[in-house]
Amino acid sequence: MISQDKIDEWIHEVEQRPSSAELIIRYIANRLSELTRRDEELATQNIELISGRKVEEYESRIASLEYQLELLKRQLGGEVVLPTEASQEPDVKDMVVVWLYNPLGQVLKIELEPGEIGANRQMARLADAVSPAGMQPVVLASSSLEELLFIFDSGRTVRHPASQLPASASLSLDWGQAIVEEPRVREELAAIQPIARMPLYELCIQASRRGYVKKINMAAFTSHVAKDYIGKGVLLPADKPCCLAFANPQDLFVMVSREGYIFSMPAASLPTAIQEVIQLAITDHITSAFVAGQQSSIIFITANGKVVHRETGWLEPARSFKSMGQAILSKSRREAGVRIVGAAPVGQGDYAVFLHLDGRISVAEVSELLAAGSLPGEEAEPSIVSFTTLSLPEGNA
Amino acid sequence: MSLNVGIDFGTSNSGVAVYRDGKVHVLPIDGKNIVPEVVKTILYITRDYQHFIGQEAVELYYKQNINRQRRFVQKWTGEIDYRGADMHYVRDIYTYVDELQPGRLLQFIKTALRSEKYQGTQVFERYYYLSDIIAGYLRLLKQRAEELLHEEISGAMLGRPVRFSTDREQDSKAQETLRQAALEAGFRQVAFELEPVAAALYYELSLSHPQNVLVFDFGGGTLDLTITRLGDAEQREVYASGGIGVAGSDFDRAIIEKRMLHHFGKGLVQHDRAIQGLIDTIPDWAALPDLSTPQARAVLQRAIQAGEAPVRLKALESLIFNDLAFSFYNMVEETKISLSSQAVALARMNEKDLDIWELYMRSQFEKDILEMYQQIEQVLLETISVSGMQPRQIDAVVKTGGSSNIPLFSAMLERIFGEHKVIASDVFNSVTAGLAIKASQSM
Repeated sequence: MISQDKIDEWIHEVEQRPSSAELIIRYIANRLSELTRRDEELATQNIELISGRKVEEYESRIASLEYQLELLKRQLGGEVVLPTEASQEPDVKDMVVVWLYNPLGQVLKIELEPGEIGANRQMARLADAVSPAGMQPVVLASSSLEELLFIFDSGRTVRHPASQLPASASLSLDWGQAIVEEPRVREELAAIQPIARMPLYELCIQASRRGYVKKINMAAFTSHVAKDYIGKGVLLPADKPCCLAFANPQDLFVMVSREGYIFSMPAASLPTAIQEVIQLAITDHITSAFVAGQQSSIIFITANGKVVHRETGWLEPARSFKSMGQAILSKSRREAGVRIVGAAPVGQGDYAVFLHLDGRISVAEVSELLAAGSLPGEEAEPSIVSFTTLSLPEGNA
Repeated sequence: MSLNVGIDFGTSNSGVAVYRDGKVHVLPIDGKNIVPEVVKTILYITRDYQHFIGQEAVELYYKQNINRQRRFVQKWTGEIDYRGADMHYVRDIYTYVDELQPGRLLQFIKTALRSEKYQGTQVFERYYYLSDIIAGYLRLLKQRAEELLHEEISGAMLGRPVRFSTDREQDSKAQETLRQAALEAGFRQVAFELEPVAAALYYELSLSHPQNVLVFDFGGGTLDLTITRLGDAEQREVYASGGIGVAGSDFDRAIIEKRMLHHFGKGLVQHDRAIQGLIDTIPDWAALPDLSTPQARAVLQRAIQAGEAPVRLKALESLIFNDLAFSFYNMVEETKISLSSQAVALARMNEKDLDIWELYMRSQFEKDILEMYQQIEQVLLETISVSGMQPRQIDAVVKTGGSSNIPLFSAMLERIFGEHKVIASDVFNSVTAGLAIKASQSM
């Protein structure tokens, strides 16, 4: 704020040193022009508020959140009586959504009817550079009824209902169409995590790229999420958060590294303080972290499109932290440059979604992948950038 | 061929220079600094014992500490014996330690050389002796210089104050610690020269007969004054030395206290002591990351929602939690530097809810540092008095260091000694430059 005292000081300065006048006038004129521009922007926003456009936007958001709440209560078996239920229930269909995001905070949404998911077909294509500015993208699948938690490497988080984010208009994608959840200075988007089922679990496990892990009690984690800050979960300056997983104490937590090392341990035994649980080589990093849960099979996808299948019982849970990890790749394959792009627990009727180096996004039925042992048509050269799994909504499987 | 450099290991800032082909090259040792020729004398040690210096250390300190989680645990630190007339019992002493602290920031390392008691400090699981700390700093300084010169450095001519301590034994112990640290850092040859002599070396080389010279070394952290007889290396004599811990960084602090705090709610938030505490900590750059706690955020958000100076408190929240402190302190320093060459400067910052536009005039700056100006003048007159001379008996005043360019201090020197006697050094950091010349001549 410019007080009268300040103005008096300026006048005094000009009286004392007339040579300062030009500079003072120039600074004030620039400020005036800047403030005029800002005033116009604020007036525009004010008109939007008065005309009700903003109100409609917020009302729609509130309605969607209420619906999410109802969904959660149903999953927990509670009764839901919302005052606005009868009149304002939004028309949100349970669809399959495939997300593509990168560290720059650019997010592409592909919305599909469950019936549209077919085996071994190309779902969409990214016409643009797959990794703008060297920022490798990640593919993720969720239901359209999910709530998504955007996790930045500073530990900051932002929540969005999946249904509220606009889908791409066509299946020919480019980053220019992306929704941007802009990172702050020196920040990158580290991961997106669906959190609608979060209340069904007792623990949240945060894993970093360099193999550091901490578990958080769900009550505490919920409170961190409400404050939009969950912490980085890293100790090393060069490390970054990479994954979140929800678990109950008896569940088996699994982490898989790019060079094919696996760490597994019952969630109850994981450290509460950030701790290195797997010793990774300097060139290695974690690509996937998940809870084996009730699924009995785990698939590992290599960058050149090979599918490695293991039963959950094959995993040897680590007995201490700083383990070397259980190897999924033989030494010779590792030395030949074979790398794991992702791993996930799978069940009957699940699908796998792949982002290819040439920008293709394809889907394949897991049972067919297991039978073939690789993605059809993949070369020996690395061509898979990212991988995820999806389950069809109940009644569509 | 062995390469020798001059190193000014200062209280707040340091520098490295090399003398080649008849020219002094003060190395741009800290590319991230506003003045790349000086590097802050700060060492940041991370939990995995990596060392960082200068602006890189400050940046990492902010990055790792702003918005970080804290977990305080009780740690046994010792015990106290109670002995009364007929009783004796021992009590355990615990302190609260933040076990998630990612690193330790060590400042004023040179000052520790003056202390009889300071031996070193515990950094996580390791104990660092003072020589280890200084060696850690000098090692990185050496590495950076070698990267810039593409050559291995073998020797260093280090500057030292006229006195580290009035106690002769402590004084030689301090120099020995510094020598040991330099050797640990990888210098094979180490020699010392008095800082004021190094600062006036250029001037001394031009003298045909001995003169009484006042060296006015006014940098970022301290003002060092030395009255010495120069011109004959055989009969060099220091008549008096003095100084004060007031310099450039204190002026930055004064600007923040007097001109910036109202942008963050100073004067508007009267009754909330927690918020006042946050505002009052802003001038202390090293303490700012400690404010980024969930409690502080909750206090601010409550006040913002209650409509208590919401725009200013939002700016305060943004400064504390958005990693803007680094840019903020740099902006203040740049504004101050601009005022040495122009009568009016603009302190401007517009990032994430933080919109500072402050027209700042040299006359305001001079008013803001008036108290420090008076202290400096007093110390100067006292030093002259201790030398047993009158100002007219001083033949020349050699001023050096960034703060000596401030017109108010140039005018003070000209008023006391006469305009013709005040000589501005032609390099930014003449102590470093002088040490480099000395290194090339005598090592």
